[in-house]
Amino acid sequence: MRVLRRVLGWIPVWPFVYVVSLVGYSWRWQRRRLGVWFVTVVAIGAVLSVATTVQLLVWLGERSLSGQLRDASEMQVFLEDSATADQQAALRARLAALPGVTAVTYRSKAQAQARATHDPQLSALAGASEGNPFPASFVLQLSEPRVAAEVLDTARGDPAVDPSIPASYTAAQARRLSTALAAMQVLTWGLDLVALGVGALVALALLRSEIRARREELRILVLVGVPRLVIRVPLLVQALSVAVVASLAAVGCLLLVGQHVVPAVDQSLPFLRLGSPRWAFTTLSVGTIAASCLALLPCALLVRLPR
Amino acid sequence: MIVPDSVQGVHPMEGTALGPNAGDGRGSIRLADVSAGYEGEAVLTDVSLDIDPGQFVCIEGPSGAGKTTLLRLLYGSLKPRTGVAVVDGVDLGQLRPRHVARFRRRLGCVFQSYELLPHLTTLENVLLPLQLAQMDISRPGDRAVDALDQVGLVDKMDSMPAELSCGQQQRVAIARAIAHEPSILLADEPTGNLDRVATADVMRAFEAFNDQGGTVVMATHDEHLRDRYARRVLRIQPQAA
Repeated sequence: MRVLRRVLGWIPVWPFVYVVSLVGYSWRWQRRRLGVWFVTVVAIGAVLSVATTVQLLVWLGERSLSGQLRDASEMQVFLEDSATADQQAALRARLAALPGVTAVTYRSKAQAQARATHDPQLSALAGASEGNPFPASFVLQLSEPRVAAEVLDTARGDPAVDPSIPASYTAAQARRLSTALAAMQVLTWGLDLVALGVGALVALALLRSEIRARREELRILVLVGVPRLVIRVPLLVQALSVAVVASLAAVGCLLLVGQHVVPAVDQSLPFLRLGSPRWAFTTLSVGTIAASCLALLPCALLVRLPR
Repeated sequence: MIVPDSVQGVHPMEGTALGPNAGDGRGSIRLADVSAGYEGEAVLTDVSLDIDPGQFVCIEGPSGAGKTTLLRLLYGSLKPRTGVAVVDGVDLGQLRPRHVARFRRRLGCVFQSYELLPHLTTLENVLLPLQLAQMDISRPGDRAVDALDQVGLVDKMDSMPAELSCGQQQRVAIARAIAHEPSILLADEPTGNLDRVATADVMRAFEAFNDQGGTVVMATHDEHLRDRYARRVLRIQPQAA
């Protein structure tokens, strides 16, 4: 106990008193203009809510597209029925050597027919045909659809490949999928930046109006030797509080959309395959709070104080 | 052009940047061939003066002569263009912008328009700068009350500035200026807006500070004040065209 008392005796009290004074001053600053603060929070909260909601839908759409892209990344090179084992082996070796091809597996005619019976679009064809109309194929896993062009170049003209329909999709189709995915990603990032930019501008306008409204007070504080950093503390607190509260409002909106809107959309438009938004919700919530704080705090440092 | 009544030999002081060793020359002011002014306009040229600790100095002169400019120079709002200006042991020519606030905390300043914060009580007006500017000051509340007591306003500590007379408001400003126990008090026309009775109250507060060893530099155009209170007078004349 005596040791504790001695240790406490060494700790200077003034830093604590100073921090308490600073917090009190910041609160006093904020308290008198709660109306303006509230309006700003509503404005920034609305901007962030719209942005995060759209972002959630875009992310879910992007994920759905990615899933479709994964399916598209499974490319088949159809084999000629008359292709010999040597020809098939040579072709397999050439395909496996292509950059971007991660795996090559053989699918026999019997396996192809068995799969077709389970496919809603091909089952009718499988039942109607007397023989087995489905060709054997090499199933390739591609790292990205753009690799399809090289696969087609390699397969075209090979004696083991069916000359009429060499592969399951064309290079142009692969390019379109790739472009769509890239566009979704650009759209997501663009929305992020626009939302944060608008939020930062609104916050900057608030902080500037605060400075204008309190210019006289700040001038006096500067005159009596209050450090400029200390004068900025209430502005920093204000920017932080606006960022956090507006972000929380946006997160609430996101929660509402995630729990009610997304399931409803998924139910009425199942082909969209939006799925569960939980992962996107967590990421977007944390990201929104962090990004808005990072965007608004510099605003408090950018506004000019009176000299 | 400034023509002090007593242009004294300037002590060749070493320029001291604001720092731990800036304590030499506490309470004194030394200017040697100092020029200062605003953008493109030189208001003060080749000013030399020497104020020792504990002096009560009045700076007098007509409007526009440069009284306020001189005080702004002494207060660190203006930088000397030429010459050497050392205030309270601090060489203003070498004062970096980030050190200006720290330098000002060594001084007290009183303005003609009081510069009180209207939404704070009398006590808070004295206390807030103490709390925010004088970080390591102990018992700021007691200091603020003591300062108000010195100017005879301890019974008005909960009043808002609007509830006080002009003289009382100026005394609150003086309490704020002396609460952190500066060695120099600068005052720019502190009684310019006051009647005779209020002026006497305010001047008593300045006298009390000076009696305790503080240096007072006051700009005024009131001859009565000059004759009644100043122990030394510096006269500023407008610069010839």
